[in-house]
Amino acid sequence: MLIVVDPHSGVPVYRQLIDQVKFHISSGLLKPGAELPSTRALSTELGLNPMTISKAYNFLEKDGVVERRPGRPLVVAESNQNGMHDMKLERLRESLALSVTMTRQLEIDRERALELFKEMLNDTDDNGGSQ
Amino acid sequence: MKIIEFVEIERAFKRGVNVLDGVSFDVEQGEVVGLLGCNGAGKTTLISIAMGMLQQQRGEVRLFGLDPIENPLEVKRRVGYVSEDQILPDFLRVREVLHLHRHLFPTWDDDLTADLVTRFDIDLKAKIKTLSKGQARQVALLCAVAHRPEVLLLDEPAGGLDPAVRREFLETAIQLLNESGSTILFSSHHMSDVERMARRVVMLHEGNVLLDNELDDLREQFSLALIPDDGQLDSDALRALPGCLAVRQRNGNLHAILRHGPEDGRALLTGKLGVSVVRCESIPLEEMFIELVGGQA
Repeated sequence: MLIVVDPHSGVPVYRQLIDQVKFHISSGLLKPGAELPSTRALSTELGLNPMTISKAYNFLEKDGVVERRPGRPLVVAESNQNGMHDMKLERLRESLALSVTMTRQLEIDRERALELFKEMLNDTDDNGGSQ
Repeated sequence: MKIIEFVEIERAFKRGVNVLDGVSFDVEQGEVVGLLGCNGAGKTTLISIAMGMLQQQRGEVRLFGLDPIENPLEVKRRVGYVSEDQILPDFLRVREVLHLHRHLFPTWDDDLTADLVTRFDIDLKAKIKTLSKGQARQVALLCAVAHRPEVLLLDEPAGGLDPAVRREFLETAIQLLNESGSTILFSSHHMSDVERMARRVVMLHEGNVLLDNELDDLREQFSLALIPDDGQLDSDALRALPGCLAVRQRNGNLHAILRHGPEDGRALLTGKLGVSVVRCESIPLEEMFIELVGGQA
């Protein structure tokens, strides 16, 4: 599994793990039923305290993203469309957070900012919907 | 279960100047705690006291509920220890050093020893004095972990080592964590090592515990706020704000470390003091350390 953590970041390492697993699921790299590496294997591979890995895995399990079966590796849960939708929205929310901060700091009018977002959405639609 | 207990530890090396001035904290079984502090903050003194190599003048220290000075054998058998300036007898060969340790520790694990000798590429026939600094430290680490200690005390174990050897160190400690669930207390100036290994951080400053928190909480429940230092805000008013831990003046801004997450911190500053905040964000451990103990420099 392709996971890269930056321990020297303002984002807690367990959060980085959660975000990347979710990203791999929403991008289709990790499909439902796919097995996740064991806590021990991932902690050795990434050079991290195993407790950090289990903390991330516990959150993912609580969110219903992965399933734990006794004595077997964790697997990606059968996709429930609602969950997947939430996950994608969550990713958009994260990337918009910076724009929201910028809007406040540059003191740009709210309506103008919303207009800009709509304009940019429409522009990409005209170009065939993707970049 | 509490594995390491420090209770009101005091220790001076010069009359009237306490290097440790009432340090108290516990380490639970299986916890990995990073001990931080400037040079001279007392990290080595505290770890030496835990090893029973130095006696505190006041307070109590217990490992597994035992006083390390009254029960030196039992405590040392259950502990692994590596320090930056550790001295191995330099007239011995590596093989002889390992033999010596093997006889001292009933729980010595030959398979783990063989495994580490291969991994570290250690020449058993070499004399200690011919080893490089990195190789000597690897032998010390091997001696510290091969009896699968319940507690690992590491005093700046990676000091002066290159990144590749440091990573080996880290991975060996992680292996021990995975296989034996050891409790680890380690001091380090390498913040990224602390961030990888530790779940909790204890920061010593001016003889006391300045900070004792889960690393994740430091990211989520603490923040650094930057406020323009344009004369509108009195830095004392900022210091008096609930949850404000430190204030510094830097390049025309006031830097404040808050015991609040970024959102709450910003709201508090705007709400209570009515100031415009340039930035209020989570910060890495290294920045936190510098803001808290770096002074005005």
